[in-house]
Amino acid sequence: MAGRGKLIAVIGDEDTCTGFLLGGIGELNKNRKPNFLVVEKDTSITEIEETFKSFLARNDIGIILINQFIAEMIRHAIDGHMQSIPAVLEIPSKEHPYDASKDSILRRAKGMFSAEDFR
Amino acid sequence: MGVSELAESSVLLDEKLLRFMDQLELLEEKRATLNSLIEQGWFSMSKARYSMGNKCVSPLQYASEIEPLVCVHAKTLGSGEVDFCTDRVKQKCCNEVGKDNGSIEDIGPQEEGVRRRIKPKKDMTEKETSEETSSEKAPEVTPEVRKSDQNPQQDPLKWFGILVPQSLKHAQSSFKQVIELSAEIATLQTAVLNTRQELKHSMKDKHILLEEASATQLDRVAD
Repeated sequence: MAGRGKLIAVIGDEDTCTGFLLGGIGELNKNRKPNFLVVEKDTSITEIEETFKSFLARNDIGIILINQFIAEMIRHAIDGHMQSIPAVLEIPSKEHPYDASKDSILRRAKGMFSAEDFR
Repeated sequence: MGVSELAESSVLLDEKLLRFMDQLELLEEKRATLNSLIEQGWFSMSKARYSMGNKCVSPLQYASEIEPLVCVHAKTLGSGEVDFCTDRVKQKCCNEVGKDNGSIEDIGPQEEGVRRRIKPKKDMTEKETSEETSSEKAPEVTPEVRKSDQNPQQDPLKWFGILVPQSLKHAQSSFKQVIELSAEIATLQTAVLNTRQELKHSMKDKHILLEEASATQLDRVAD
């Protein structure tokens, strides 16, 4: 069943996490570790970064969905991730609409037309 | 030699660039769909919250045991691209549940239908007939009894109650679509990055060829 494939992880605000869990992506493994993090007002950046890194280190996660405003907080960690698995997807949040110019993938793609590529 | 190679690499570069642009366009389209679907999901969730109560749709309602209903299969293609495809676990239908229950050891009274109370020994013949009837009835009743015994944790909708508003169901279906779309977007993102890498290499190759061609031209002029 689902164990054979990889999971989708979420780091987001309350509504984003609730929505995706309604969709059926949630998991609590044997060690009671969830594949989601509900970011609230009092959630520290260190906690977000640690969770993101732990998701990157897990073999059973294929895609990480993260609200763009949270991704902005740990941009260095996201930019540092170069592997294709897990894929990191930036999604909008209720209060912060999606901005393509901030997306790390699109920024990488845009960088193709810089002067460095012609050297 | 140099001119034909240069023309070939230029054509190849153009093809790659066009492919790259197409992929970016597709990515933008899918992104727009994803954003609108997420918005729709939030709107439906807010409607559900309005009718159920503010605290009734929150992380407090998450189940203590959560199992994933969707998984992603990541296939690495030869070109270095990764193809993500979602696979949804189908909810068990009634027949399957009946079969499963048959294999599990049943604890407790076997017959949950109509039972006859054991009376003191007044008439032996009457008792015998009652036993016969109950033993005949038992196998008929058991498969139907467990129909409602489906795992309640399987559907996350049930975390929020048994009779949830329609808007919450709409929110669920929106987010289900978002999950499928996010796998497609993840595939596209890797494709975009891969094409970008290819394009970068082709540009470098073309640059080298251009330098070589200009050097030979200079030599000819000098001769």
